[in-house]
Amino acid sequence: MFQFLPYLLKGFWGHRARAMLTVSGTAVALFVFCFVSAVQDGLLRLTQDKQAQRTLVVFQENRFCPTSSRLPQDYTKHIAELPSVTGVIPIKVVTNNCRASLDAIVFQGMPAEKLRSSRELNLTAGSWSAFEGADDGALVGQAVANRRNLSVGKKFTINEVTVLVTGVFQSPTTAEENLIYTHLDFLQRARGQNSVGTVTQMEVHLSDDADVDHVAATIDAHYRGGPVATTTRTKGMFQADTLADLAELIGFIHYLGYACVGLVLALVATTTVMSVQDRIKEHGVLQTIGLRPNRIFRLIVSESTLLSTAGGLLGIGAGLVFLSFTGLAVAAEGVTISFRPSMDLAITGAIVSVVVGVLAGIIPGIQAARTKIVTALRQAG
Amino acid sequence: MTLVQVKNVTKQYANGEETITPLNEVNLEVHQGDFLSLMGASGSGKSTLLNMIAGIDEVTSGEILVEGTDITKLSRGKLADWRASHVGYIFQTHNLIPVLTAYENVEMPLLLLKMSAAERRKRVEIALEAVNLTDRATHYPRQMSGGQEQRVGIARAIVASPTLVVADEPTGNLDDETTEQILELLQRVNNELGMTLLMVTHDIEASEIAKRQIRLERGKLTERQSESTNREITAA
Ligand SMILES: Nc1ncnc2c1ncn2[C@@H]1O[C@H](COP(=O)(O)OP(=O)(O)OP(=O)(O)O)[C@@H](O)[C@H]1O
Ligand SMILES: [Mg+2]
Repeated sequence: MFQFLPYLLKGFWGHRARAMLTVSGTAVALFVFCFVSAVQDGLLRLTQDKQAQRTLVVFQENRFCPTSSRLPQDYTKHIAELPSVTGVIPIKVVTNNCRASLDAIVFQGMPAEKLRSSRELNLTAGSWSAFEGADDGALVGQAVANRRNLSVGKKFTINEVTVLVTGVFQSPTTAEENLIYTHLDFLQRARGQNSVGTVTQMEVHLSDDADVDHVAATIDAHYRGGPVATTTRTKGMFQADTLADLAELIGFIHYLGYACVGLVLALVATTTVMSVQDRIKEHGVLQTIGLRPNRIFRLIVSESTLLSTAGGLLGIGAGLVFLSFTGLAVAAEGVTISFRPSMDLAITGAIVSVVVGVLAGIIPGIQAARTKIVTALRQAG
Repeated sequence: MTLVQVKNVTKQYANGEETITPLNEVNLEVHQGDFLSLMGASGSGKSTLLNMIAGIDEVTSGEILVEGTDITKLSRGKLADWRASHVGYIFQTHNLIPVLTAYENVEMPLLLLKMSAAERRKRVEIALEAVNLTDRATHYPRQMSGGQEQRVGIARAIVASPTLVVADEPTGNLDDETTEQILELLQRVNNELGMTLLMVTHDIEASEIAKRQIRLERGKLTERQSESTNREITAA
């Protein structure tokens, strides 16, 4: 099967301009495909995360931006006493931009010991003790650190909030890597906040056998007539609701992904058709020598597959490198979607380029294999 | 020994209303070690006959037996396999693969046969030596003269030691001196390598190096018996 590989490769070399243009076109399309898929993965991960289905978020009723939600902090006490509730974390959220943004900074202030027990943070620099020892200490997600070029020991100011970076972390929940964690009381007292005694939201952890919806309804019912009414949803729902507008947009981006696949198909098919038409006579000669029509077909399909796979791998590689170095994320109303490279993404991209390559070769391949030898030999060239 | 038996072969082309019959119930026997030349007016059907014997064109009716196998009954795939091991084809224009070197062009037919890399290498070298082009092995077709290209084409046709070598106007595009070289080479292929050769030509001098001279006229074959007599070849 592989004895004709040198012939294929030398054929590419003989038409290197054409081959290179096809490969680079495919690479660009797959780069975009990769990007689009990463955006979608990010959204999916956020809303379908298992943990997110079993954790509740209590927010002020009818409020969306974190700056406008103010819950009395002592709500925690009552909620903690409800059946099936295993823990309540009061969280103060501060963001520099409530609208959709690619460079939103989101601070979450919470009690240090709760942060440590509820989040699986893996510190790549700095330490917990440094964080706990500094009033203005902050643990910065890897993605923010990359984007803003932050490292341990640096001071960092945004929206009048100045923090000291005491650690940089990675998290299995990639969206977390776009957050900056601080102490709760620090963020409540920060300049321009003046919100001691209130928090933005509460995160409620439940026992495994809890009836999630029932607990949510109980909380909301209890505060309906209280000083501040609440809306309680699962974390996944909360994030999905918050990002609803963005999600719609992202859903639309989906089509961009399909368009990329179509583009590659058209591009590789065009190149293959051209290359087959250039070599009708050559294929006649090969058949005269004794290559079966079937083999001619396979040679042509291999040719288109090699081209699109080479371009695909290049584009996916570039896409993954780009995604991991830029730590890109989109945030709205304090919730972030991170675009992360992943093995799944690489595999999907690779499969797409192989399948598209095969499809692109089928019709020209059949044409070449069906052409009568004597007709082919009569062609000029 | 009879190698090829062409039995009542007819070839017709339907051209709209009209039908052309370049070959009408043609019969021919080729023996092991023969060197046949096939002459005839342009458009008389020489290439068509040659191509049918080489298994790259289809008969309208009749049989072509090669070593007892009726090749007109083989499927396209089987026929390709048969060509790989039984036929060497020398084209009028060499038809070398432009992106491959002389060596790689000659090696091409061997890639289809089961043999070790060492055996393949040895055979390619022998074939290139036979056409006296060992020093051009790494050259590409565009780096060679027309005569050299044609010699590579001949090396490619004989490398697999085929049962039958066919050549369609192998000197049609060459000057006199190169033509002579090529004809000499073909004679050696026949005499020294003992391969059976069937050559279509327009050139009377070229046809004279062949052991048997056949003419194709108005759909029928005649064979020259002596200086001036031709006899029609009929079914045996
Ligand atoms: N595909 C085809 N359709 C219709 N007619 C064809 C086709 N191929 C060949 N012919 C006709 O068949 C006849 C024989 O053609 P062929 O090529 O065998 O002639 P030839 O003797 O080799 O001629 P030349 O010496 O010019 O090469 C010609 O009249 C040609 O026009
Ligand atoms: Mg001809």
